[in-house]
This record gives sequence, C-alpha cells and structure tokens, in this order.
Amino acid sequence: MHVTICNHEYCVLGAGPAGLQMGYFLSRSQRDYIILERNTGPGSFFQIYPRHRKLISINKIYTGRRNKEFNLRHDWNSLLSDRPSLLFQRISRELYPNADDFPRYLSTFVKELGLKVKYGADIGTIKASDFNGNQGYILTDQNGVSYQCSVLLVSTGLWVPQQVDFLGSDLVEGYESIPTDPEEFKDQAVLILGKGNSAFETAQSILGRASRIHLYSPSPVRLAWQTHYVGDLRAINNELLDTYQLKSLDGLVEGRLEDIAIGKEQLYLTLTELLDQNGNNISKITGQNLPGFHTDNFSLRQPYDRVIRCLGFRFNFSIFDGSARPPQSSGARGRLPGITAWYEGRGTPNMFVLGTAAHSRDYRMSAGGFVHGFRYTVRAVHKILEQRYHNIAWPATKLPISQLQSWILRRVNEASGPYQMFGVLGDIILLRGSYCEYLEEFPLQALPQLSALSGRPLTDQGLLVLVMQYGLNRTDTLGPGRAESEWTKAWRSNFLHPVLYYYNTLPTEKDMRQRPVGWPLPRPEALHHMVEDFLTEWDQPISHSQPLRRFLEHCLQTDLRAFYAESCFLLSLTSRTPPLFCRQGYLRKQGIVGNSHLWQHAREAGLMADHQRDITPGDDTSVSEYLKHAGAAVVSTMNFDL
Amino acid sequence: MCIVYLIAFLFSLTSEQCSSKLMEDSSQSFMERMHTGKTSFIYFGNHVNPTIKLFMEQLEMSADALQDYGISVVKVNCSKDAIANYCTGEKLMTKAYLFRGSEVLRSFDIDTVFDVNAIVSHVLFSVLFNEVRYVHTPAELLRVESTAKQNSDIVVGHIPVLGLPEHRALMEAAFVYGTKYQFVQTSGTLVLKHMGVVDLSSSQARLWFLHCKGVSRRSDPCPSTPMRKPLNTINIHTFLQLMEAPLVTESVLDPSEVDVVHLHLGVPVLYLFSQPQTQHLDRATAQTLGLQLRGEVGVVLIHRDNPNVKTSLKYNAAYRLPQEDVKYFTLNSAEGVVKLFKEELLQEQKLENEEEDEEHWSDLDILDDEVSESVYRDRDLMLDLESVIELTSDTFQITVTQDDITVVLFYFKWDAVCMAFIQSYIEVADALEGMNGVKLAAVNCGEWTDICSDQNVTSFPTVLIYRPMAAAQLYRGMLGTKSLHRFILLSLGSSPYILSSSAEVMSFLEGDLYSKHMYLTPVKVLGLFSSTHDMGVTSFEEAARLLRGESILGLFAHKEAEQWVEGLSVNLPALLVSRGPGVPYEVYSLPSSSPTDLVSLIKQVELDRFPELTVENLPWYLELGKPLLLLFIGKEDSTESTKALAEIKQPLSSGQLDSFLPCWIHLGRTPVGRSILEKYLGFVPPLPVLVMSQLKTGEEVFLFPPERPLMAKNILQWIHDVENGQEQPAGITNGFKCEFG
Repeated sequence: MHVTICNHEYCVLGAGPAGLQMGYFLSRSQRDYIILERNTGPGSFFQIYPRHRKLISINKIYTGRRNKEFNLRHDWNSLLSDRPSLLFQRISRELYPNADDFPRYLSTFVKELGLKVKYGADIGTIKASDFNGNQGYILTDQNGVSYQCSVLLVSTGLWVPQQVDFLGSDLVEGYESIPTDPEEFKDQAVLILGKGNSAFETAQSILGRASRIHLYSPSPVRLAWQTHYVGDLRAINNELLDTYQLKSLDGLVEGRLEDIAIGKEQLYLTLTELLDQNGNNISKITGQNLPGFHTDNFSLRQPYDRVIRCLGFRFNFSIFDGSARPPQSSGARGRLPGITAWYEGRGTPNMFVLGTAAHSRDYRMSAGGFVHGFRYTVRAVHKILEQRYHNIAWPATKLPISQLQSWILRRVNEASGPYQMFGVLGDIILLRGSYCEYLEEFPLQALPQLSALSGRPLTDQGLLVLVMQYGLNRTDTLGPGRAESEWTKAWRSNFLHPVLYYYNTLPTEKDMRQRPVGWPLPRPEALHHMVEDFLTEWDQPISHSQPLRRFLEHCLQTDLRAFYAESCFLLSLTSRTPPLFCRQGYLRKQGIVGNSHLWQHAREAGLMADHQRDITPGDDTSVSEYLKHAGAAVVSTMNFDL
Repeated sequence: MCIVYLIAFLFSLTSEQCSSKLMEDSSQSFMERMHTGKTSFIYFGNHVNPTIKLFMEQLEMSADALQDYGISVVKVNCSKDAIANYCTGEKLMTKAYLFRGSEVLRSFDIDTVFDVNAIVSHVLFSVLFNEVRYVHTPAELLRVESTAKQNSDIVVGHIPVLGLPEHRALMEAAFVYGTKYQFVQTSGTLVLKHMGVVDLSSSQARLWFLHCKGVSRRSDPCPSTPMRKPLNTINIHTFLQLMEAPLVTESVLDPSEVDVVHLHLGVPVLYLFSQPQTQHLDRATAQTLGLQLRGEVGVVLIHRDNPNVKTSLKYNAAYRLPQEDVKYFTLNSAEGVVKLFKEELLQEQKLENEEEDEEHWSDLDILDDEVSESVYRDRDLMLDLESVIELTSDTFQITVTQDDITVVLFYFKWDAVCMAFIQSYIEVADALEGMNGVKLAAVNCGEWTDICSDQNVTSFPTVLIYRPMAAAQLYRGMLGTKSLHRFILLSLGSSPYILSSSAEVMSFLEGDLYSKHMYLTPVKVLGLFSSTHDMGVTSFEEAARLLRGESILGLFAHKEAEQWVEGLSVNLPALLVSRGPGVPYEVYSLPSSSPTDLVSLIKQVELDRFPELTVENLPWYLELGKPLLLLFIGKEDSTESTKALAEIKQPLSSGQLDSFLPCWIHLGRTPVGRSILEKYLGFVPPLPVLVMSQLKTGEEVFLFPPERPLMAKNILQWIHDVENGQEQPAGITNGFKCEFG
C-alpha cells in the first residue's frame, strides 16, 4: 500500500458548521490547516436530519434593526465571517428553513471564503504521538493516508444513534431509517421512545394518519419556552401536546426504557419485572406477563403496529485510539466527550472539541450544542489557540474608565455572543486604574486560567464580568408576575438580562467549583443585575444607565458622573482631583460644552451651580447669538491691551 | 444611680441652649487651665468666615453636652491672645485639640468634628480610649470575649460612620455603663459578617449584647442578642435594662397585676399560664420563648393554682402591648407565639421604617448627573437633524469622499453626553448650511455598529474629519458649538499658508491676508526657513497638516526670511508668533524635530503669557502645572480692572513671575468665576481681587490683602510673603472626594 503523510499545524475533523467556522478563523489568521471530511460535501448530517426536513433554528430576517451584530441574535443559522453578505438569509427567507438549505449554505461558505476542505477523507483511527516533545495526533484515513497534526480540532458532531437494550429492542425502528411518508403509518398504532424534538417531529408528521401515537421515555416533556433551553421541545413541534390534552387518542407516558420489553408477534409492551427469568433464557411474552393481566387499566395495554426509537445521538468514540481518546462526559448520559473549560479534551492535550460534540460544557443549560451558540465558542477557542501557539494575546479594547459605561451598554444592547451563549461566554473587563481592557466573549468557566489563556496579565485592581442570564427562580412562564419592571428589584428578573460581577481578585478553581448552584460564577464582591427589558433594549437613563453607573462607581470607588465643561472648569480650579469625567475629557481639552438650554435644565434640577443670578440676560451671549455675529464674538485669547 | 444620671442628662439635652457653656480663654486663663489637669476641648481661631461660624455654633452646643461629662469646651481668640504653638502655623483654624491638663490627648480636624454629635462622640471616644475596645476582626472580638467570660457582659456597637448621632449615643452609653459592661466598637464588615448579618451593604449602625458573664464553661461561646431598634440613647438604655431583666419572671398574680420592668420600658409582655401538673414543661417553654424574644418582649410565667389568678381557663396565654390592656389568647405552639410577635405585633414600628425605605428608593429614581438629567428633560424634544446627514452602511463610503470636508459625528442615542453634544452639532450644521465644500454627517453607532468598528471609533462621541484621498482626522477640541465651528472654518483654509514674499508675510501677520479667519483666532504662527530645501520644511508642513483647524500657520521658506529675524537673538529656522495687529511679534528658534514634537512646540508658543482664563481654554494652561496668580475682574470694564491688569503685566515682562501662571477671569464673560471665588474664600469680595491658588503644591488659597493697593511692587512683596509662609491662607481648595462621600 502506498503511504502518504501530510503535515498540518491544525487538522479540523469534520466539515460541519463547527469545522467550517473554525476553518474560517484559521484561514483568516493564515494558519496551516486542513479540514477533513469523509463525505463529498459539507454538513452531510443535514442531508439526512432532521428526517422531516424542517429546521427548527430561527431565521428571522426582519428585526426592524440594521445593526448587524444585533441581527445575529435572531439569526440562528449563519456562521460568522467578515463578509456581510454571507448570511443564511441569502439562501432561505423562511423562518424555519428547509434542511436542504443548510448544506447549500455551508457549500457557499466554503466556496466564497476559499476554505481548505479535503472531502472523501474518512478518518478511521486517531493516535496520539510525540512531536518534538509536544503531543500531536496522527490521523489515518480509509486509503492509508496519514495526517500529522500538531493540533487536532474535533468537530465530528453527534451522529451515532443512541440505543437502549431491552427484550425486543431489535423490533424497534430507528429515527434514522423510518419512512417519512405519513401514508405508511395509515391507521397504525405507534409507540415512540423518546420525548425530544425528533420524537415530536416524527409524531407530528404522522399525526393525521396514525391511529394512536404514544410517546414513552423516563422524563416528562420539557418545553423549550419554559426552560429557555433550545434543545428541549420546541413549540413548532408540539402539536401532539394538543391532541393529548384534548383526548384525541395520543398520549405521553413516563417510565424507564430499560424496564420495558416488546413482544414479537404483535408489538405488546410489557415490563421486564413481569417476565419469568429462568436462567438467561428470557421467556416469550405471553398473556400472563403483560401488565394489563395484573393491572387491568395499564396505560399501554393495547398492542402497537410500530415502535420507533427517537433517542438522539452520541459522539463517535470508536475512531480514537486509547492514547487519544477523551473520557466520556459525566453529564448528558456519557454521550459526549469530557472536555475542559477551554474545550480541550480532558487528558488529550492539543486536541480540542468543537461544535455539538462540545455541548457537555453547557448541556441543557445554554446554546453550546447549536450553531447559533457554538459559532461563538469556536471563535473563543480560536483566540485561545492564537495565544497558546502563536503568542497573540486575546484581542482587547483599551478604554478610558469614563467610556466604560457606554461600552458596556453598547455590548448589552447589541452583542450576540453573550446573548446566545448566556451564562457561558461573558465579557471580561480588566480594571487598570484610569483605564481598562475589554475582552469579549471569554469562556466563563475558564476564568481562573484567564491570564494564561488570554495572555493578558492581571493586576490587583480587580475585574468585572458581564454575563447574560435568565433568572434562577423558576416561575410560571406565562403567569402573572413573570416579568420584573422595577429596576430596584432587578435581581428578581426572570428573562434574559445582563448581570455584572465584580471581583477584587480572580476567582480560583476552588471558588469556581464551590459556586452556588445554578450560578455561572462564584459569589462576587459586588453584583449588579440590569433589570430585564421587554424589548431587550437596556438604554433608559433611570432604569438602566444610572443604576449601572452607580454600580461601577461602587466597584471603582470613583465618581463617574458626566459634567459640562463649565462645571469641570469650576471643579478643576477648586479641587485637587476633579472628577474622572473632567480629567479624562475636559482636562484633555475634550470637554462637553452644552448650550444654555441644557444648562438651564441642569440648573433647574439643582445639579449645576447657578451663578447667573445677578447677571442680566443681555450679558449672556447665547450660542445662536454667537453664530449670527460670529465675527464680533468674544475670542478665547482676549487681547487685554484695551 | 446610673439611670437617674442618664435621664437627667437626657433632660439636659432637650433643654439645651438656655445659656452658653462655651468658655473663652485668655492667655492667662489658658495657662491656669493647663495646670488644673482637667479635660478640655479647645479651639484656636483668629477670624470668622461662614464655615467657622457654623462650627462655632456647633461648638457651643457641644459645650452644654460635654459639661455633663466634666469636660469643658473652650475657644481661644488668637487675634487677641496669641498662645504659643497653637495660635501659629498652618493648622490654626482647621484643628481643635483635646487636652488633659497640659497634655494633648488628640487633635481633630474640624472637618472631623463637624457638628455637636461628632464633637461629643469623638471627644468621648478619646477620653474612653482605654475602656472602649476598638476591634477590626472577629478574632480580636473573640479575644475580648474570652477575657470577659464569667466576668462581665459585652456591648458591641457597629458604627459604620464615625461622628454621627449613633456614634454619640454609643459613646454616651459607654460613659455611663462603662464600668458595668465591656464596650466594644467596630466598623467594617468583618465583624458584621461574624455576627451573622446578611445584608452587609446597609450602612446602618448596630448593637449587640453578648451574655458572657453567665456562660457556664469558658469554652462555651457567649450568646448574643441583637438590638433591633435604631441606635439612640433611649433605645440603648432600654435595651441594656432589658438585658439585665430576668429571662422569665414567675408570678402568682393576674396578668394585669403583674409589675415587670418591661412595662416601664415600653416593651410588650407575654404571659403564660402554668398548671401545677405541667409546671416543669411550662417553665421550659417559657425559658425558650424568653430566649427567642429577649430584648423585644418580656415573658412572665403565671401559676394558675393561686386564687389571685382569675383568668378564664379557656386561655393559656396573654400579652400586653405598651399602653394597652391585656389581651388573652390560646397558645398552640411556642413557634406560633414567636410568629405572632415577630410578624404582627412588633411589625407596627417596622412599617414606618419600610415607608422610609420606599422614599429612599424613589430618591434613587432621580438622575444625579447634570448631563443625563438635562438631556432627559429634553426627552420630548424631537431633534431636527435636517442639516445633518444621517449615514448608513450603504451611504457612508460615498458620502465621506464627496466634499472637501465631511465632518462625521459618531454617537449613541442612549448616551447622554452624545445627545448633549448633538445639539451643539446641529447648531454648527445649521450655521454652516449652504457653505460650499463642507458637510456635516452623523452615524448612529447603535444601529451602524459595523461602520463605527471599521472606523476604529472606541470613544463616544467622536468627531472625525474626512477629506478625499486622506486619512480621517480626529477632532480633538472641545465638544461645543464655538470650538467645532471655529475648527471647521479654519480647516477650510490651507495649512500651512505658503507665503512667497516679505510683503505677503507682513500681510499674513497683520491679518490682512486671509482676514476672513481673523475673528476665529488672532494668533498666527509663521515658520521661517532660509530656503525650501531646508530639512525642517517637510517636518513643519507635516506638523501644519496635523494642526489643521486648530491653528493658523504660515510658511515662508525664502532667502528673505533672514530679514525677519534680523537684530534678534534667533537664527533661522525660526518660529514667529503674531498675536494680532499692533502687538510685538515673538520669535523662537526652531530646532529640527519630528512633526509631533513640532506640534507641541507650536501649541506651546501659541499660549498667551497672561491669558484670560475661559471655560474653553483652561485645560491648555492648567497643563503647565504652575501655581495660578489669578485676577478676578468684574463684569463692567472699570478703570480699576484695566489698571490691575497692567500692574500684573509689568513684572511679567521682566520675568519675575516666571514660576507662576499669571491669568485673569472676567466674571462677565465667565460667570462661573463667581462660584470659584465663593469656593476659594467663602464669599465674593469687591472686585478686582487677586488670588494665588497653588493647585499642584498645596491646598491653600491666598488672597491679596484687599486693603493694599493692587500695584506691581505690592504684588511682588505679597508673593514673597506667601512663599515665606508669612501670609495666612484665606481658604482651601478641597479634595473632590469629600463631596462624593
């Protein structure tokens, strides 16, 4: 066999949305990379799934806004790039697009950005290997071609159907192979195992043909609009809830999947505990071991024509050699690889997991398992790569403290990353005295390693973290009192709202582990909730800006109010340390002058010194006067030789 | 005994100010006082201004209060009796001293002892220094506890802010009860946390009683009871009495007959009826309740078997609120009673507090930022943006390359500073409307975030000037109508103006050439080079480009340039500064340097040597970091003002004022000058008035004595005296932090 070896600094495994997203960032920073894909085109998962071909990711084109960053909050399909035209809306204008459009979009993305994808490379094994003292990986494809990769980025997604073993599980059809033509289910009684979106999607498609649809799984249905987790049942798939609650022959039942058994001739469902277990030879299902024989009103006593398994997918661990295999995650029933807070495989240095496979970090909590979420985690991982392998620090905007408040408001009102990846990615503000450094979208769980991962040194002046969060108190999602409008009770907000954490010192890993249940971060020195807003516009002076300013003042121990030039003039001449706004604006010759109309307001409010009282109105040349007779106006460098 | 004393004292508080107990000492009586060994609080002063006057009033009130503690309060008029050490030096006026005999126990800034409460609390705290323990940390508190165990009880006061009435109340209690209890004072949150307070943000003063005397084993912790009422003298007294009262009083009388101390102290009483059969159990219940309600409710156990008890058998408990009759009820569980008291009966007083809270919140709804508030008051005003072009991602690139100059404002709608400035911006746009080659545009960064990021705008508001084929220029001037208007007009001219003959140079300097810009600034700077091949010319041209809009610059690179420096001590290349027609030119030699260094050099030579300070130009002059010699002149241009200006100008030219920045403020044009004078001196004296404020080197402000004529030699003499410490400051400039709290 002919052996070929290719060397790449970065190998991206899988040309799905996450792989291509990483490919874009690697290409933009001009790194040596290759994306390996076993199929002939990108996003092959979406060629098959969802089986009924309707994407449930929102493609909202009309937001009433032209802010590109803001609009990404409502565009769940596009990948990030610097091409404003390379958005999903170019391919489809449907709110819930057809699944075929997604691979089409991905192909466009690859083509227009010229990403390096090698199709038809089916990687069978991945081995760890030592490259000059650093752990690297050797990937071998079906043709024996080897790829030596210093850094491996696994974005293979989840595509191995999740199965459960029980007597008769061989009689069950899988979501991956069921017919999608509803006519095939005509007048059939169908039992679906699972209560997720694929189960409901299947049920919904056959609702008009099947005689009876029962959904069976351990946990009750979780509605996305109640849990705020987009992986739970979406309203677009939930018609069956209607027919269940209106007693139209469909229903939901809870029970352990391992506890059931299915009889051969007719698909009778029974419980394992009722079967005679004489040795290993489990007896056939007979009348006596049906639950209905013992409890005559047992819910699932009628036989089914078909049983369909819709239990989701798991990560394919099989291609990893023992030396390179990440452990199974502790959450998500072990279906996902276990990874660190910065998305590196646990025990597999220089191998990072991206995309849906990286969802164990925020499983059932945030959007890291979905395109609109992981496009931002991929960007964050790329910044970590740049720092670790190329010594390029995490990009930071240096701001004078007097600009911090307006910068925070800007992010809160438009940023999409923290909005989608709520509780997972947050903005970090490193305080440095009179200025600060603003780092966007850092993975919060990696906060203790901030300095090493970002390449930004810490000082003893503390830091702020800006996070978007839902309220921790679960309330009736549609009931009264579900929303808080009083800014003084902002901490009781239930919907997504910005929260600021202030720390004197960086939290340690121990602090992180011992943080209160449900909190994204440990208890800070000071905490500020910005009250939830119905319009998600946090821009009102009394409810949003001023409380935020007071919080920042508390953390920074500085007056952050703004002053007109005249007040700064007064304060600069009568005080050793005029307020920050005067020092960073007026005294740098950038004072905000205002006009007599505004001063009047400020004086009436008692906020600005009123020394006009004994000045006759004629003395005060108003600005418009000035402009009319600009030629005759007083100039600042008056000649005193009168 | 103590009680009587305290009550008498309280009475004296209410009837204060009948006659002043404040004594005034002469040198003689001061000397005598030093020998008596008594404690006295003394203030030395030499004149009275409004601040001092207020302080004297408070001092007088404290004299009455402190008399009860055997402390005399004394003032010394230094202008009559100059007492050595205390009547001189910079601390005079701003300090007060606590003496024991002739020894100074402590000195206080009068800012610290600002009112009667502050004076009493600080003085008592100093006197009780050995009795009241001051602790920072829980560990320190535990040490105090362990020495007190089985010995005496402890009173812990948490005083977040010293000098307030709560602090005074604690100190007065310590004075009275100091021999009976160990008093502990603390501030900060560490001890607060240790005492189990959850809401650390509240700045409320608190008090606890630690029952250390009765602990049976030294290893046991001291149980504590928090005082739930606000800290004042009466509440502390009541609370301490309650702590002394037995946990449970047993009685054989009917509830209305029982006399317990609680009723006299205005505290509710709970009565429990006991049956002989269940006596032990009842006693235990009463003890538990007594512990839970200690400090708030008195508990009495009544033995029902006595014939004096006439209460119907259907009740097993009763309570009595202050000034009310006994109410009977049936008790089901001990928790029920605690709940009844905590959630209902004791709530009444708390309701009042909550109302206060509400008010407190509504206060917070008021904007306290002058810019935000003034913009907010205009929220119904629709801005007329007609004269300003609103740019979008689609129009931006085309628009900024069309005209000679496109001025672009980058703003946020929700940023008050931006919205305050946009009013000025519109005024400028209106004034320039119709002018060829200039266009004013704006980008709303809340919507067109991509433009703002592309243009690297990170500060708001930002004004950039775009010209075709050139990088955008940042507008660095004041964000106001006048400054921006001037900048744009000046930007329209060339920079530098290339002059080709001596005649043109003359015309440029005298303002005939380009006279349309004359009114914008009279200052012109001319670069003189012997030829266009001079190395410095390119540098100068680059500097001129950087200063476009800020300064009027001319360039004369010609063999005739030599003539303009002839007879002066400067060689070419040189800078020539004209400050308007008829004013002698200033000449500076021009070292070869980078364009940015040249920019700062030019900005520096443009500065006036004796400027009129205005709101717009102050920052340029403060940057020099020199002490200010500041003349305030009235709004009407009197001959006195003109003379005063001339008198200062005189030593200026001879270089005698080089270490100062001599400057002046015209109160007509800069009315805020009046407020500055008020802050400096506490009042506005007749104008003109000369003041020295050494902003960088100290906080004092010196006033040129109004009785002396404002003449050059007197001024120099005065400066000399000030420098030698022979002048008394007339006021101080305060650190801003005090205002912020």
